[in-house]
Amino acid sequence: MPSVSIIIPTCNRPQLLPRAVESARAAGTDVEIIVVDDASHDETAAVCARLSGIKYIRLERNQGVAGARNVGILASSAEFVAFLDDDDLRLPGSLDWQTGTLAAARGAGFVCGAMLIADQNYRPTGAVSAPPEMDGDVFWQLLELDFPVMPLSLVIRKQCFLSIGLLNRRIPGIDDWDILVRIAELFPGITSAEPVGIYRQPTPCSGQGSSVQSDQLARAANHQLQLFELPRVKALSKSERQAIRRRTINRITDTLLWNAWRSLPQKEFGFAVANIATALRLNPFRALRPAVVRRMGTTLSERLSERNSDPSGLKSPTA
Amino acid sequence: MSLTSIIITTHNRPKLLRRAVESAFAAGANLEVIVVDDASTDETATVCRDLTGIKYVRVERNQRVAGARNLGLLASSGQYITFLDDDDVRLPGSLDKQIKLLETNSEAGLIYGQAILVDQSGTPTNQSYPRICHQGDVLWELLGQNFIPCGTAVFRRSCIDRVGLPDQSLAGIDDWDLWIRIAELYSIMALPEPVMYWRRSTPASQQGTSAASRIVLQSVEQFQQSWKNLPRVLSASHEMKRRAWRHFSANMSAHLSFEVLRALRHRQLVQATKNLFALLRLSPAAMLRLLRINNAHSPR
Repeated sequence: MPSVSIIIPTCNRPQLLPRAVESARAAGTDVEIIVVDDASHDETAAVCARLSGIKYIRLERNQGVAGARNVGILASSAEFVAFLDDDDLRLPGSLDWQTGTLAAARGAGFVCGAMLIADQNYRPTGAVSAPPEMDGDVFWQLLELDFPVMPLSLVIRKQCFLSIGLLNRRIPGIDDWDILVRIAELFPGITSAEPVGIYRQPTPCSGQGSSVQSDQLARAANHQLQLFELPRVKALSKSERQAIRRRTINRITDTLLWNAWRSLPQKEFGFAVANIATALRLNPFRALRPAVVRRMGTTLSERLSERNSDPSGLKSPTA
Repeated sequence: MSLTSIIITTHNRPKLLRRAVESAFAAGANLEVIVVDDASTDETATVCRDLTGIKYVRVERNQRVAGARNLGLLASSGQYITFLDDDDVRLPGSLDKQIKLLETNSEAGLIYGQAILVDQSGTPTNQSYPRICHQGDVLWELLGQNFIPCGTAVFRRSCIDRVGLPDQSLAGIDDWDLWIRIAELYSIMALPEPVMYWRRSTPASQQGTSAASRIVLQSVEQFQQSWKNLPRVLSASHEMKRRAWRHFSANMSAHLSFEVLRALRHRQLVQATKNLFALLRLSPAAMLRLLRINNAHSPR
């Protein structure tokens, strides 16, 4: 029996998939690689047939990422599961140390590492997304989104799903956050700043639409209210719950504003507008603080004046 | 014969559970019985400890029926899967008969059977459902009406790898949705004889009238958002699609009309109004019909 299953859902990305699979293979010695082909209608099946040593599952009807991950969990024969998106990479040996750590900590439900942020060509940008280093109860940090959640950086004890359920298909993009909060409510976790994967950061123009990220954050803000139904949250006093809610909304608003501000130099105006609009909806007072408005204004006017003085700035960026 | 997993989901009904489990063991030779205790807050856990031979899964956070079934799937290892509710009773040997038949046809993904209806006091009636067992390509019949009682259906585990898991957000119609997804790709078989005792929902039970309008509206949404967009349905002729919708909406409005009358009879006015509004949204014509019936029946 393999010790860990790495579940790779994929849909219509045969050119990227083999690289993800190879990285998964190099990430551990005793790994079951499960590729769940979520009803691709291109040559994904043929590409998978050429990949040796994988368990290939072909969904005939698209289930979305969470649905495909669930099918992968069902097919897994290992004690631990990890997730990998078809465009991300696992670092060599990373699964071995994560499963080793989790196997040694008997009561723990998951182990979470850090990830290196890369551009669309897998070139590391130098940024690292690391969870705060702590052992034990990380429920409150997760609930407040004070914790970068990425399925890529996790190894989960499969037994945990039996206590709290599988991934929720109805909340695309935040199903991983939801499941981790639910696991952390009952099980301690282990976090580490050690990088375990390379995350290929989507750019606003990478075909995922300019509003996807802001939609996801808005959905997370909304979904948190459902997580407030968990017994550990319900046991809090009303003012404590309100404080959690306030901090979360502020954090999400700040993230949205930061995303917007960061995208201005790239002239991703659609992306910026989507983020600012969501921020305004969530917390107008915070979004309209003079400091924020001034900073946005300065950056924007710099970009615009640059655009006027430099005619090349008017050219549309080549793909 | 390959291993069959019987997945029994239960929530706070320790009294009924034992009978369901015993009937499951008697239904076939090579099987595992998985009891998924969906966060019961009573003595269910203790009762399960006394049940020998079961695989007990304790869910700590309530998942409702569909989510609990999925966890049963996760804990199971059988090549064939069947779900049983804690208040259902399987007939002895029924599972073996069904699987033997299913194994004769490798194209078929699922086999179902008839259920003997049981009334509220627990006594079996002389009615079986469904009276007519459709077989083969039943997608179009299934779109109109769920004629497969959940506990009678046995399906291949490999179906899940092609159509996905039951949708846990569809409380109450997750089984119907799964049958439709299986029937889109596979042929469906039936053993045209009773395979279980089935206690249908009533106002007194937790699935009573308050759920009726919600379930109907959810079915309508699912039809519009999902079933209508299944590739085989999309590529069908306009006439086929129209017929399926007519069959479906007639069935749904009949269901709602019945619930309205039942709620009125029990003097549940709020509930009756809710159902009436649901009916109005679905089919104004059916509502007019209902009002006319109701007038004719009301005492003068």
